[in-house]
Amino acid sequence: MGIRKYAMLGALALATVSSFCIPAQAEDVTITVWSLDRDIQPAPNLIADYNKLNTGIKVEYRQIQFDDVVSEAMRAFSTGQAPDIIAVDNPEHALFASRNAFLDLTDMIAKSEVVKTANYFPGPLASTMWDGKNYGIPKATNTIALYYNKDMFKAKGLDPEKPPQTWTELVDAARKLTDPAANVYGLTFSAKANEEGTFQFLPWAQMAGASYENINAEGAVKALDTWKTILEEKLASPDTLTRSQWDSTGTFNSGNAAMAISGPWELDRMVAEAKFDWGVTLLPVPEQGAERSSAMGDFNWAIFANTDHPEEAFKVLEYFVSQDNRMFKDFGQLPARLDIAIPETGEPKKDAALKVFVEQLKYAKPRGPHPEWPKISKAIQDAIQASLTGQMTSQEALDQAAAKIKAVLD
Amino acid sequence: MKRVLSSITDGRGFDIALVALPLAFLLLLSGLPLLYNVLMSFQEVDMFSLGTLWRPFVGFENYRKLFEQPETLPILGNTAIFVTASIAGQFLIGFGLALFFWTNFPGASWLRGLFLVSWVMPGLVVGAIWNWILSGDFGVLNFLLRESGLISGNIFWRSDPNYSLWAVVIANVWLGTSFNMILLSVGLSAIPGDLYEAAELDGANAWQRFWTITLPMMRSSIGALIALGLIFTLQQFDLFAAITSGGPNNSSNVTQYWAWDMSFRQYDFAKGATISVIMIVFVMLASIVYVRSTRHEVRG
Repeated sequence: MGIRKYAMLGALALATVSSFCIPAQAEDVTITVWSLDRDIQPAPNLIADYNKLNTGIKVEYRQIQFDDVVSEAMRAFSTGQAPDIIAVDNPEHALFASRNAFLDLTDMIAKSEVVKTANYFPGPLASTMWDGKNYGIPKATNTIALYYNKDMFKAKGLDPEKPPQTWTELVDAARKLTDPAANVYGLTFSAKANEEGTFQFLPWAQMAGASYENINAEGAVKALDTWKTILEEKLASPDTLTRSQWDSTGTFNSGNAAMAISGPWELDRMVAEAKFDWGVTLLPVPEQGAERSSAMGDFNWAIFANTDHPEEAFKVLEYFVSQDNRMFKDFGQLPARLDIAIPETGEPKKDAALKVFVEQLKYAKPRGPHPEWPKISKAIQDAIQASLTGQMTSQEALDQAAAKIKAVLD
Repeated sequence: MKRVLSSITDGRGFDIALVALPLAFLLLLSGLPLLYNVLMSFQEVDMFSLGTLWRPFVGFENYRKLFEQPETLPILGNTAIFVTASIAGQFLIGFGLALFFWTNFPGASWLRGLFLVSWVMPGLVVGAIWNWILSGDFGVLNFLLRESGLISGNIFWRSDPNYSLWAVVIANVWLGTSFNMILLSVGLSAIPGDLYEAAELDGANAWQRFWTITLPMMRSSIGALIALGLIFTLQQFDLFAAITSGGPNNSSNVTQYWAWDMSFRQYDFAKGATISVIMIVFVMLASIVYVRSTRHEVRG
């Protein structure tokens, strides 16, 4: 009882004191920001730092769960209660941009001293564009590459400094590395029936000259057939069909898979868990000299079109962008910037891996951008799963996907 | 005025108030969303019309498009298999356990209580645990089956289209059995003991007593339980999200998961609503069975 009384008094005192301090900022503009970042991730920290600058703009933060970002944003926008700024997953950016729910930032970016489109990797930047205009700014980025277990390479007579560079080499290496007696699969990746499956498959199709617009092109069929070979010969676990990238790479860390396709978000866990020598190489290409490609993940910043304070909101974004050089050092995320070097971490394996990921990022392509990306993605996932479970040939499955995608695009 | 007041404090008005309050509550919290859902299934919905009530009316267009999709019929079939197999499994094992604990050996009520732990656990936790148990390469279930010589190679419960639906059924049977057992135990203990004594004196054996006394006396409990089971199974979402996500290739997809996927993964809210309406029809049927079978309870 006593404690509660004192606490109440304290709160009251605090309220009075702060209400005396506030008048100086009484006419502050308030900008609300929604993102999925937790307390150790960029958004809340950058906002706290920004509020300390006392610029006359007060930023309020709300954390939303990954699964709720889009539905929550749609609901808020359609009822006129949208925040000023939101962080949205890059394949979903076009959904909002194409309907002008996001503010066109082209002119503001052109005038800006801080935000320069030339500084960004082309993939992340493309994901913020719609109809040739800038509807956002990349927040961070990631991509996928091939992790491999150097100790296993040595044990099976493969050169650990010459990881597979083409699909044929990859399948051959997987055959040599697969060892059912020791519970080791040659490769692990994810063909799950959600966005992760599309995220992993699309780069393969793109490297072979296909794209989501012509997903039944010869190259995509060849890519899917390669996946099919890998699964039919049990070079990867059949659970690849239902396992996430995170769980799949877990089997690599525990020594049950010799190679893994995944992204830089695995690095810290791998450094802590993997009790072997490992390396990262660029995603293998269909044949020597073929075009490279990779997936592109992570979120973009955008300003909602119905904000009352577009100028101030953009100033807040400019501040976020100006802090991009802290992105990796403080929060472990890769900035989507060509002009910012990733600092050394002092962990040689991680530093070497980061160099590969930054190189790979140059070839990263966005998914879409298309306002109905989830439907396109679903068609691709269905095709992957229909083919890999043996219910259809790769050609049939991708033909069906192409028909579904055509219906969406028309 | 006074008459109205006195009728409210003591009389018909009081009865009406008692009925009206929960009815208003139900209509507000269940009825309106339900109607809204039905309305939405006849409309064209997108993100910009999400906040409004009157949207372009498209008649049965959503239904027609839904049944044009190649996956629709298999998913409805999966739902039927999932519901039938889950209820059958939960009920048979639950009834067996209830009869077993009914013999009242020392510690029976204690053990029976412990069985409820599975019912108390959140679906996602149960799903995560079964996800490990059913894992193809290192799963406990495969290990047990292999060691006991039942299978020679691993079964990929989650990833083999022939097994994926059954993987979720197994987890769901485990989850629901204890609830069935408890309800059936209650039903069993309500049967008067003298009926059995009389039957025994007349020379009825255990089997005859079960068929002519236990089962008929349990009819309303069983009816209610199966109707509740249908509702619970049609609500089962967490296990699908945690174990198979409806994959591979929709082989373990059911309407309730599909409706969510349509609305919140593909943002096709109208089709999500359409699937829900189809489900509502089935749940309504179950509710009628439930209401009819619990009516007997008053008499019994």
